[in-house]
Amino acid sequence: MVVYSFHIFDRHTECIYSKHWLPRPVSSAPSKQGRPQSNSTLGTYDGEDAISTQPSGLTAQDDAKLLFGTVFSLRNMVRKLGGMDDNFVSYSTGQYKLHYYETPTNLKFVMLTDTKTNNLRMVLHQIYVNLYVEFVVKNPLSPVEHPKGEGVANELFEMGVESFISAAF
Amino acid sequence: MAGRNLPLEAPLRPRYVGAADVAEWKVMVVFALIVINKAGGLIYHREFHEGLNKLSVNDYLVLAGTFHGVHAITKNLCPLPRTPGQPPTGIEVLESESFRLQCFQTLTGTKFLLFTEPHQPNIDGIIRKVYELYSDYVMKNPFYQIEMPIRCDAFDRHLASYIKPRQ
Repeated sequence: MVVYSFHIFDRHTECIYSKHWLPRPVSSAPSKQGRPQSNSTLGTYDGEDAISTQPSGLTAQDDAKLLFGTVFSLRNMVRKLGGMDDNFVSYSTGQYKLHYYETPTNLKFVMLTDTKTNNLRMVLHQIYVNLYVEFVVKNPLSPVEHPKGEGVANELFEMGVESFISAAF
Repeated sequence: MAGRNLPLEAPLRPRYVGAADVAEWKVMVVFALIVINKAGGLIYHREFHEGLNKLSVNDYLVLAGTFHGVHAITKNLCPLPRTPGQPPTGIEVLESESFRLQCFQTLTGTKFLLFTEPHQPNIDGIIRKVYELYSDYVMKNPFYQIEMPIRCDAFDRHLASYIKPRQ
């Protein structure tokens, strides 16, 4: 079992913590391009691969935003189909698997692993209870909200996540 | 549900039922099937079993569009370096507490979404069979216009006789 990355999103849709165990794939575009020109990309429709065939000139922040959009849409879709008390648990593609856990305060924990990993909901719950609450929420120096991840990535929390993940896998 | 009304005399049976299929008769709960064309439009939806919320046709259209978009994004989120010759795939399985969604994308971009119970075995087989029915009774129907909503009686009937009796 391999863990690729771990993200926490707060209730304002912001990514307040992210950690990667794998270097981001080297994007084929050397620098970030601007928005696609409407006449070149959007004008001619070539199926849904319009997105995926482009060189991914995305930064890690863009990735986090895409990730949030994905889990947010899927969560709403699941709620619509399964009722309000249903919860989105995970999805997997041919390459990776995404695990999802949401606290009652709308804090979203997302973990990307390889496809063979079993359900990690309990692991994410443990990270919330034993690490996030202990080292971030109970930290007197940490602000109540965490704009730009302020106060989340403190030393104890980092160490806790690192040792917890290496112990769990 | 289990083992009830096995249609031994089902009129459309012979073609799709083999010995291996009979073993899986007992445990099959398929909630719904959705087919999305390559532009993200809903071209077929059908419910087989109670279990999911009732949605309006409009909601299904929105759901199809949303899923199409998310499917494209998930291709891009792949944390692994791209291997040439093996493009990343989008969502294949989505799990929630009360259902499981299997997505099968054909080479031409059509997506089949099958909603089942969370621990339903052999969904791959079911979805491939549905694809087979689609190619037989929709694509070979001379009156079917490609990418348009599926209104083929034969497809409806064969789908029902494949999925319904097993629930």
